[in-house]
Amino acid sequence: MAPVYDWLLFLHVLASFLLVTTTVVYSAVVLGAPAPARAISVANVLWAIGGLGTLLLGIALAIDVDAYEVWDGWIVGAILLWAAATELGRRAQVGVDANADGTARWHWLRAIAVLGILVLMVWKPGA
Amino acid sequence: MSLLAAVRPDEQNLPLFLHVLGAMVLVGSLVLAIASLGGAARAGGAPVTRLAFRALLLGALPAWIVMRGAAEWIASKEGYSGDRTPSWLDVGYIVAEPIALFLLIALLLSGLSLRRLDRGGGGGGGGGLLRAAAVLTALMLAASLVAIFAMTTKPS
Repeated sequence: MAPVYDWLLFLHVLASFLLVTTTVVYSAVVLGAPAPARAISVANVLWAIGGLGTLLLGIALAIDVDAYEVWDGWIVGAILLWAAATELGRRAQVGVDANADGTARWHWLRAIAVLGILVLMVWKPGA
Repeated sequence: MSLLAAVRPDEQNLPLFLHVLGAMVLVGSLVLAIASLGGAARAGGAPVTRLAFRALLLGALPAWIVMRGAAEWIASKEGYSGDRTPSWLDVGYIVAEPIALFLLIALLLSGLSLRRLDRGGGGGGGGGLLRAAAVLTALMLAASLVAIFAMTTKPS
């Protein structure tokens, strides 16, 4: 396999780890853990990096690999879930910052969206 | 993470999903633990120390078990056993086992520190234990990075 593909895949997977790391930290927060402010700040930064990384590197992978196209159903589905997770994450972040009601709901919906992306990445329905 | 970008037999999808999910939650829990351990070592306080301990006990440890068990499941489905293992899989084994050992030691250290704090004796000793647990957690994160690289790029 070409080195470019290897690096794209490694960085794409690494970016997805950052998304789940943020989800884990926020899970602790909404479950009532006294997470340090620094941990929440780090989680927010990781979400931004992971979000951009998964999207851009994922599209780059779809272009690089002959077997896939960006408009394949499972890739479009993942992008839609990514967009939903991004918005839900924004709401969860605002909720945590303001200590507002409903934060847990936005967070768990985001967690489900992230899980859905992983399901699509593994099963690749239609590929 | 093996074969994440490839289309593979359906029977491998569930163990792969569990393997990747376990690895992701493991790394996330380690990040939460190290952030909490750092905060607890600097400022002290039972709540943050308890968070670090729980991140390791309720997050990282179960996630390691899922990750490692699913890895074995995939390996058996792909016919890897005994000497018939590729080098990238060996890297996975070499990295995963020490992570379990470090995880148990970090759990012990943070648990001892938490016990001291709960007893009201959270003086200097607890900070040393927490710093040691933080160093071990940082090593686990570094090892995880190596494993992710090996699993995705599969160097021969």
